[in-house]
Amino acid sequence: MKLSLKLEDQQQNQNPILFKAKIPIAVFGLPFLSAFSATHHHAAAASDKLSLSLRTHFPTGPSLKLSYNTPTTTANSGAGKMDTSPKPKSKSKKPKYSRFTQQELPAWKPILTPGWVIASFVAVAILFIPAGLLCLSASERVVEIVDRYDDECLPDSYSNKGDSFIQSKDTNKTCVRTMKVPRKMTAPVFIYYQLDNFYQNHRRYVKSRSDKQLRDRSYADETRDCKPEDNLDGDENEPIIPCGLVAWSLFNDTYKLSKGNKVLDINKKDIAWKSDTEIKFGSDVYPKNFQKGELIGGGELDETKPLSEQEDLIVWMRTAALPNFRKLYGKIYSDLEANETITIVIQNNYNTYEFGGEKRVVLSTMSWLGGKNDFFGIAFLTIGGICLFMAINFILLYVCKPRPLGDPSYLSWNRNPNGL
Amino acid sequence: MTGWREASGSRQGGDSASAGTPLAVDRNPSMSTIRLGRVQPQAPGHRTVFCNDREANYLAKYKGNAVSTTKYNVATFLPKGLYEQFRRVANLYFLTISCLSFTPVSPVSPITNVIPLSLVLFVSLVKEAFEDWKRLQNDMTINNSSVEILQEQRWESLPWKKLQVGDVVRVRQDGFFPADLLLLASTNPDGVCYTETANLDGETNLKIRKALEKTWDYVTPEKASEFKGEIHCEQPNNSLYTFTGNLILQKQTLPLGPNHILLRGCSLRNTEYIVGTVIFTGHETKVMMNAMNVPSKRSTLERKLDKVIATLFGVLLSMCLIGAIGSAVFVSNKYHYLELWINGDSQQFNPNNRFVVFVLSIFTLITLYSPIIPISLYVSIEMIKFIQSTKFINNDLRMYHSETNTPALARTSNLNEELGQVEYIFSDKTGTLTRNLMEFFKCSISGETYGTGVTEIEIGAAKRNGVDVKEVQKPSHAVREKGFNFDDARLMHGAWRNEPNPEMCKEFFRCLAICHTVLPEGEESPEKLRYQAASPDEAALVTAAKNFGFFFYRRTPTMIYVRESHVEKMGKVQDAAYEILNILEFNSTRKRQSVVCRYGDGRLVLYCKGADTVIYERLASGSEELKKISREQLEQYGEAGLRTLCLAYRDLSPEIYESWNEKFIQAKSSLRDRERKLDEVAELIEKDLTLIGCTAIEDKLQEGVPSCIETLSRAGIKIWVLTGDKLETAINIAYACKLINNDMKQFVISSETDEIRDVENRVSNFLASVLFIGIIQTIQSQVKLFFQGDQVEIAQFIRETVKNDLHKYHEEAQSIIHGSSGQKLSLLIDGKCLMYALDPSLRSTLLSLSLSCSSVVCCRVSPLQKAQVTRLVRKGANKITLSIGDGANDVGMIQAAHVGVGISGLEGMQAVMASDFAIAQFRFLTDLLLVHGRWSYLRLCKVVSYFFYKNLTFTLTQFWYTFHTGYSGQRFYDDWFQSLYNVIFTALPVIIVGLLDKDVSASLSKKYPQLYKEGIDNAYFNWKVVGTLACFSVYQSIIVYNFAVASSTTGLTSAGRMLGLWDISTAAFTCLVITVNLRLLMMCNTVTRWHSISVGGSILAWFIFIFIYAVVFVNKGTYYTIYVLMGTAYFYLMIVLVPIVALLCDFLYQGVQRWFYPRDYQIVQEIHRHEPEAIGAGLLAVGNQLTPEEERRYAFALLPRERSKHTGFAFDSPGYESFFATQQGVTTPQKPWDVIRRASMRQKTKSPRASQS
Repeated sequence: MKLSLKLEDQQQNQNPILFKAKIPIAVFGLPFLSAFSATHHHAAAASDKLSLSLRTHFPTGPSLKLSYNTPTTTANSGAGKMDTSPKPKSKSKKPKYSRFTQQELPAWKPILTPGWVIASFVAVAILFIPAGLLCLSASERVVEIVDRYDDECLPDSYSNKGDSFIQSKDTNKTCVRTMKVPRKMTAPVFIYYQLDNFYQNHRRYVKSRSDKQLRDRSYADETRDCKPEDNLDGDENEPIIPCGLVAWSLFNDTYKLSKGNKVLDINKKDIAWKSDTEIKFGSDVYPKNFQKGELIGGGELDETKPLSEQEDLIVWMRTAALPNFRKLYGKIYSDLEANETITIVIQNNYNTYEFGGEKRVVLSTMSWLGGKNDFFGIAFLTIGGICLFMAINFILLYVCKPRPLGDPSYLSWNRNPNGL
Repeated sequence: MTGWREASGSRQGGDSASAGTPLAVDRNPSMSTIRLGRVQPQAPGHRTVFCNDREANYLAKYKGNAVSTTKYNVATFLPKGLYEQFRRVANLYFLTISCLSFTPVSPVSPITNVIPLSLVLFVSLVKEAFEDWKRLQNDMTINNSSVEILQEQRWESLPWKKLQVGDVVRVRQDGFFPADLLLLASTNPDGVCYTETANLDGETNLKIRKALEKTWDYVTPEKASEFKGEIHCEQPNNSLYTFTGNLILQKQTLPLGPNHILLRGCSLRNTEYIVGTVIFTGHETKVMMNAMNVPSKRSTLERKLDKVIATLFGVLLSMCLIGAIGSAVFVSNKYHYLELWINGDSQQFNPNNRFVVFVLSIFTLITLYSPIIPISLYVSIEMIKFIQSTKFINNDLRMYHSETNTPALARTSNLNEELGQVEYIFSDKTGTLTRNLMEFFKCSISGETYGTGVTEIEIGAAKRNGVDVKEVQKPSHAVREKGFNFDDARLMHGAWRNEPNPEMCKEFFRCLAICHTVLPEGEESPEKLRYQAASPDEAALVTAAKNFGFFFYRRTPTMIYVRESHVEKMGKVQDAAYEILNILEFNSTRKRQSVVCRYGDGRLVLYCKGADTVIYERLASGSEELKKISREQLEQYGEAGLRTLCLAYRDLSPEIYESWNEKFIQAKSSLRDRERKLDEVAELIEKDLTLIGCTAIEDKLQEGVPSCIETLSRAGIKIWVLTGDKLETAINIAYACKLINNDMKQFVISSETDEIRDVENRVSNFLASVLFIGIIQTIQSQVKLFFQGDQVEIAQFIRETVKNDLHKYHEEAQSIIHGSSGQKLSLLIDGKCLMYALDPSLRSTLLSLSLSCSSVVCCRVSPLQKAQVTRLVRKGANKITLSIGDGANDVGMIQAAHVGVGISGLEGMQAVMASDFAIAQFRFLTDLLLVHGRWSYLRLCKVVSYFFYKNLTFTLTQFWYTFHTGYSGQRFYDDWFQSLYNVIFTALPVIIVGLLDKDVSASLSKKYPQLYKEGIDNAYFNWKVVGTLACFSVYQSIIVYNFAVASSTTGLTSAGRMLGLWDISTAAFTCLVITVNLRLLMMCNTVTRWHSISVGGSILAWFIFIFIYAVVFVNKGTYYTIYVLMGTAYFYLMIVLVPIVALLCDFLYQGVQRWFYPRDYQIVQEIHRHEPEAIGAGLLAVGNQLTPEEERRYAFALLPRERSKHTGFAFDSPGYESFFATQQGVTTPQKPWDVIRRASMRQKTKSPRASQS
């Protein structure tokens, strides 16, 4: 029997033991050790702790310990805990084992073996080459007619003076272009206008708009960013709606298409994204004071129609990412047969001559991938091809100059034993 | 005595006014100022302390005894903490950017930069606050430890912080002095107390402090309360070994010196209690004055980081420059629709003033490209390091020492990765490599070797040879006490009588019991008596004799009493008295010690013990066989790392003795040249000796030290031992630790050469002739003024010698290195020579010589020199250094090194307090460096390079876009994308990698220590790595940007609608987030669940964010973008195509690198690829599976090789030789009569004192 009474220094010990007794007893003829101790927490809310425990006391083997602590203490001393350590130190600073702190978390340890390298390349090749073919074929099916007309629609007398031509009120801006349909274009045929060298993404330009104003009539005077197209003649009570340079420079060439003598209806509905027409552009916001200033930028707007119905504007207002961009003009819901001649009557109003911009009209069909776009096809095929090439190279290397995995002779200190 | 007291008064600078005992610590003030360098000049004036009178002292406003080591308090926290934060260039940069982003030039809204910056600052400040809080708690513990203060004639237990100057306190045995005290009285006779200064200088031998005779009586509280003295003393300063003052007591002025002072931090030993009065408190105590402001260390990686950041800044500027030039060129009236004509509000787009456009564009672009500098880098690194240190290092079970119940402790979290790059370790010896525990371990008596123990070194050697040796479990009956770790049934319990040569055994034991200068202390029974010895070796030997039945229990000036158990008398105990006729003292020249004694029956014997070399020279001829056997045994002991001594005796006839004694007395009383004459006389009698045998003492190395050192040196780490010990001791330990072996070429630069001694003797002889020898040391400083010439001569001579040696060795070293022999070099240098070698003119030679040596041992070095050497390597060689030590004498070097490691546990806490990491045992360095350090380094390199990569990639996409926007600085991404990119979409995975990535497991890290070399060579974060990364960044950004843009030129749905800028940027950003996150996975060596969760989570976070963001912010360009994109095939193709294409290059690079230029860790990974990591078994030894490489090594190791010719040699640190004397190079030889006088003093004063108490 062991009985101990310890009076310990309070400074150093968190839980000084006041009293501790261990009494070996026999239960059913088997050896057990019962222990009870009283400790005193001087720091933690002055809670005295009493603990009782009963544990098997076999000379060898793990011991089973039943322990009871007063409820004020922590709950981790559950009963019936398997206790393999013979004597847990009461004030041990021994860190607790956890996989995290001992940095032994289970982990997958990928090793980039040649097999993996080859397999990955082959896999990418197998994935990409068919994908590339698929994309290419989609792009191939698309029929696209592009016609640049900014130069062509300039009368000879005004060559190199496009600027004055377009700014003059007297000149006839109507221009007739014809184009031949190379292959059958099934409806719907999409008409785009394409501007080149038009910096719709210029910082000064992009920020010169007021989304609030466009959406909600109560924000009509929210024209802070729109300078100088913010208020008509600087009068704060006369905000321009829609304000800003973006709207002000609205594209205003118009196209009329005819096939032979038959005028093709251009459907201008549904050319903008739903989110724009439904939310970003208010159905109760009407244009006001637009293009009434000294300088006329581009197209004008019908003041009787709310902005949400002015799809040309909406399309224009979704600024393009690059200085060369296309925007949807409209759609034709009739097939264009191969070798048919299409006549386009263009009102050449938009001034691109000043900054050397280019204007094109584009007729195109669509595939699941969109318009004519070889990029994906080529990219997939190229990458797939490169991967295939790499895979073959690595296979050859693997055959010709294999490196055994885990060969200790590759270790730097084995390669160069004196380099220690 | 009075005579010199007067002299002291006139001394200039007059410190050290007393030398009450011959053990006085003496010094030359001017020299100490020069040497210590950091010693602050004394404040003008002096302080007056009124003892026991708080009111009187109140006027002086002395500082309290509370100390504070915290960096901040509540008021200073914010300003100081912010200042600390903005000392980081990166943070300052972001502050500038944030300010810039409030101006109209900014293309981004302020939130883009402000949110990340404030987040970063917030996290950093929280961390600072937490760390300071811990410091505060630590201070509180110290400040609240209790001390007994005299109040109202009673000892009141009060916390340290209440202590005030002038208070009278009582400190009990083993207690620490709470402040600098003046010793008033002690329970010991004649006012003596013993202090251990381990906390200050690391020395564990006890120092004697003696109270003034006048104050001896103030022991009891009643008496002490009557004490009303007045102390005039110097102002607080940081010189540990000087003190000047006077005590005015009853109108008498008594001079005070350092001998009366008990310094804070020291502890009281062997004394029941002392009474003292407080002179300096708190921050004014010498120890606190010495504690420099701990310089905040920054890791090398972090400093490299700064360079890289500077480079990035350069890149940023050039990007801005390109953009700005483009902008100035682009600006033209023709783009009228962009409103590029004259307008009032902004000059930025005024084509008529292109220069302004240029300048403003630079600012615009800087704001735009600011994310090139990773803002969350520092805070992420801090978080990672913090978790690494608090969760991993502090909790590592492998570094938990169960005997002392000490886990490892990372005190700063700044330096984790520095641990992975250490190339030089500077180690203290005592307490660090060794346990400072001398134990009698083996012996050999007339050719028969006794002792069954196996030393640590032998175990280590055996382990290296693949044999597993279990230390023999001592039988339970084996005697085990301090200083005695010996078990051999043949000798114990009188069994030696049955040995072949019992007479010789008896001589052996008597020699041990008689030939020494040990003082017994305490009750005269074997259990209770304690030995006061000059060196632990001596105590061990006497303890051994006691255990063999020859119990030395009393000493008088002329006699030694030994209680002998004679087996022939049937176990009867007999007290024998031996008359000690002469003691021929040990010194470093003689390397031996002899005692002439007369037995009770008149037999005259000279017992001698000493180094094997000197004893063998003096043995009588004959019995060659025994000498040969003994020599072999000595070599064996030496090889096992034991310190050996040879014992011999000589029977003297009365005639021989008498004639010799005359000469001896003559020599002893001679005034000139006494030392040398005594040595010469000793030679006359110490001859024709008979060899008894030899002893082997284990200077017990800490557990696992040799194998740890071996592992570390295989890791390419060079270990230098810097010790205050003597050359021999240091060499012994170096051998024991396998730092030096006989295959090495050893260069020894020592001041203990005959030439130097000759020159020194010339001077000191002259001094001796002029002055009375007893006071030489006390007024040497004064005398030196007169004999400057000679001092200069000595100095010059040593300087020349050192210079020549250095150059000679350096050339030799160079030729060996360039030669093919591959011989390793070692350098041994002592402190005095080091002083000259550290001279600026020789420094570079010293450095280059020592760098070419694989091990360097500096002995007899002062703490300052330790720091100097460390700094030399740190600055001069620009290598990462680590200092490890346990005592306060290591503080300087711990602070000077890149990484300071303190050994926590037995000795004081000074080293730990100054250190960056504290471990319980030297051997834990393996884990600390090879596992934690290496991992931290790898992880942080990965983290840092990944940060660069991801931010560079991000910014470059932005940069490419600039070319397409007329150089206007239009942002490609939305503000929030940009600000959250760093803090949310790419933040967590990299932290996970910084915490969990490991190339090889902990056990493999230790099994292949060579892997550590990559850290030393900084293979993972150099310009090549950064360059490669930059290339990948450029490539990937081009892919991401161009693919996103180029593929979107036509309508992208079957409805033919076109995508706008924000749609495309959202798509590009999605691709970017996926790419950089996947690239992180590609960098990982291990992929845990957390990796997948965090990478997947980050990508998911982006999607969740954009799904919400795209509907919430109606007025933004990004409104609904993601939903628009989701309706296009383009988007899905992009997120498949772009990451694969972008990462293909990386993948190819990694594949090729691994295939053709595999790194070591990759090979190790491959070797062990099929082994599951031993979970939870990390605490067990590495399995005994041998790789072919190891088998080869073992085969080599098992080849027969030349046996070590080194034999250890015990005996060091004579007497209470003060640390300062060592530092000055003044050796104060312990005189034999000192021992005797001390012995006699005890006898005299014992009885009255006993009666009083």
